Amino acid sequence: MLELRHISKHYSGIAAVDDVTFTARPGEVTGYLGPNGSGKSTTIKMVAGLIDRTNGQILFDGQPIESDLQAYKRRMGYVPEEPYLYHHLSGAEYLVMVAQLRNLPARESSERIDGMLRMLALYDDRHASISGYSKGMRQKVLIAAALLHNPDLVLLDEPFSGLDVGSALVLRSLIQELAARGKVMLFSSHELDTVERVCSHVVILHHGKVVADDSIERLRTMMALPTLEKIFSQLAVEHDTDTIARQFADLIHA
Amino acid sequence: MLRIVRTAVSRLPLEFRVLYRQFLMRVVDLESLSIDADVPAFLGQFAGLLILVSLGQAYGGLMVPPPPNRMWHIEQTDIALTMLVVGLVSVLTWENTFPDHRDAMVLGPLPVKPRMILIAKIAASAALLLFAVVCLNFASSIGWSLLFAASHGIAAFARFFAAFWITMIASGAFLYGSLLTIQGLTASVLPRRLFLRFSAVVQVVAFAVLFAVYFLAPYIETPADLAALRVHPALAASPVYWFFALFNQCNGSLPPDGLWLAHRAWIGLACAVAGATLSLLVCYRRTMRKTVEEPDLIPARRNLNSTPQIGGGLQSALLLFILRTLWRSRQHRVILALFYSIVFACLMNLVHLAPRIGSIIPITPDFPIITCWMMVFAVLGFRAISPLPISLTANWILRVTQLRPPQDYIAAVWRSTILLVVAPVWVAAAMLSFFYRPYFPAGAHLALLLLMGFILVDIALIGFHKVPFTCSILPGKKNFQFVFWVCLAAIVLLTLFVLTVEFPALQHPVQAVSMVGVFAAVAAGLRLFNRRRAQSAVLYFEEPPIEIITSLGL
Repeated sequence: MLELRHISKHYSGIAAVDDVTFTARPGEVTGYLGPNGSGKSTTIKMVAGLIDRTNGQILFDGQPIESDLQAYKRRMGYVPEEPYLYHHLSGAEYLVMVAQLRNLPARESSERIDGMLRMLALYDDRHASISGYSKGMRQKVLIAAALLHNPDLVLLDEPFSGLDVGSALVLRSLIQELAARGKVMLFSSHELDTVERVCSHVVILHHGKVVADDSIERLRTMMALPTLEKIFSQLAVEHDTDTIARQFADLIHA
Repeated sequence: MLRIVRTAVSRLPLEFRVLYRQFLMRVVDLESLSIDADVPAFLGQFAGLLILVSLGQAYGGLMVPPPPNRMWHIEQTDIALTMLVVGLVSVLTWENTFPDHRDAMVLGPLPVKPRMILIAKIAASAALLLFAVVCLNFASSIGWSLLFAASHGIAAFARFFAAFWITMIASGAFLYGSLLTIQGLTASVLPRRLFLRFSAVVQVVAFAVLFAVYFLAPYIETPADLAALRVHPALAASPVYWFFALFNQCNGSLPPDGLWLAHRAWIGLACAVAGATLSLLVCYRRTMRKTVEEPDLIPARRNLNSTPQIGGGLQSALLLFILRTLWRSRQHRVILALFYSIVFACLMNLVHLAPRIGSIIPITPDFPIITCWMMVFAVLGFRAISPLPISLTANWILRVTQLRPPQDYIAAVWRSTILLVVAPVWVAAAMLSFFYRPYFPAGAHLALLLLMGFILVDIALIGFHKVPFTCSILPGKKNFQFVFWVCLAAIVLLTLFVLTVEFPALQHPVQAVSMVGVFAAVAAGLRLFNRRRAQSAVLYFEEPPIEIITSLGL
């Protein structure tokens, strides 16, 4: 179980994440939603151990993650928001490097990498340099790298970015399958339709603060709104979207 | 004068001026610099180094005037040095000739003609080259002109001065034009991927050739040398002699025997300029389109199916990461080639000194000196490029997968450096020594060389608590002049050490063994020191912030 307790992150005194508290349980997919700049990726980076927090505590299976950060990293897989990869390596070389850094047995990891590349339709391009990959292919490499070591906690920050329809459907099912196998899944996305289908529990963030933390079903009932999109619009969208669109069109016609 | 220049500049097309300004600032590759890098300071230090060399030459020449029969030697040295600097800068800016992927994506959709991009790019690189030539020669040109005027009258000053600058600019233009011609022709003929592969090889070979020519080419000292038929093939092959003849032609001091060399210089210059213009105009549009269609980096060979395991997982991962980065990253490869070309020139010198196979010659001071230089430049080169990042944004994977303590990473980096840097130099030195040197002194020197490699690596890695190519540096903050003079001092001290301590000791087995023992003790001490420091080290991927203490003045 992943617990975030009163997490805050301040940049030059400005709160990017402000007193965030929620729990992600094994066997369920926790959706982490919010508009651009609401602090989703910052939170996930803190959970991944990439940035330090200003306040609060992050616990995994009851232990603060920094009590044994290396043991925690062994159990954690992370797909970042942007496909940041070493472009001078090929897809296969990158995954082998990750396996070696994770100290996975060579033969086992080699078979696993081959299998993943085949399933993700990257096998034919495995020896091409990542600089030549499309955005979707890079995303697949990130997903494979995150799951290579069979982690107990999976952090997915916009994992559908750039994926084609087929791959997105595979990933959607994979997220559900991994949750069903008892893994803790924290999943951030702007695709509310996907979140509604995949997640059993959502946390909505706005200006760095949690504005909703419940199951989608309960939120629907409580707010008397039919879809997650409506709930999200009410909680986290401040502007009248139609008016802004009209003003924008007027501006370029002026 | 300034107004005329301003008027002339303002009459240039606006798009040229905008592009020229952009490309000029990017002659130093911004991707290898961090956000706070100070490009003007970086270029300023580069210029300062050249100016120092120029001032040193002028001061030395005026304080201790060379005898008249040394003037030819000096003229050739200056031309060779100018061509070396122009050649090095041309190779360093090789990639600036064609638009990179970012240029193509940004400028491609804009209504800018590819020809205009080409002209702006060439103008930016040429401006840097001209700047380098001026910095390198501004004081020495005056110094040599004054010396010449002292023996030939004041009127000779102007002629010598003009001939000097015509020669330096012509030799620089020839070399730059030749490289552009090679680049344009290969870009026209080869598919883009092969062209990229070829570019990588050409850069490394060009460095080696430039240094080898500079260090190994003999000088023409007298008119008799110039007339000797046996040296004609060598004179015909080297542009340094052509432009030496051109200089003397312009200065009115060329013997008739050298006229054919001066003609060769003019023809060469014309061919280089015409070749560069034509070949680049032909291939530019096609290359720009290809840049968008194909990636900049060459994919690995498709038949590479197994990854070699060298040591544990971490060791293999880091060693292969370093090796692949060195091989595939242009920035790293080019800078490393700069240092390794000196190593290569030293190696060529050793080969040149070697007698026929089977004959044994006694060990002479040049052998240990050259091999020590090779080791120093190899380690320095690797250390110089290690902090240059390949992709700072991708470092998150190393942080997320950091499952072992930092000392394991630091030890893996040390072993990789020994394997990739010290071992090849040592093997080359061993191969060149055991074939034709007496076994004992050669063996003793090789033992010292190996230990010296260990010591240098440990000194280079003091405080280097990071994985190579994963942490930003600020080249603008690097004091290149300081580094240059420290390196020069180290080389001089090392040479003195070899001459006064090592070489005499190699003649006496007891002294030689004792010296090996001392080196081994120093190497072991440094290793222990670094290992102890590594135990409390933190592996870092970003530059540690500068601690600012603000005094409240209370």
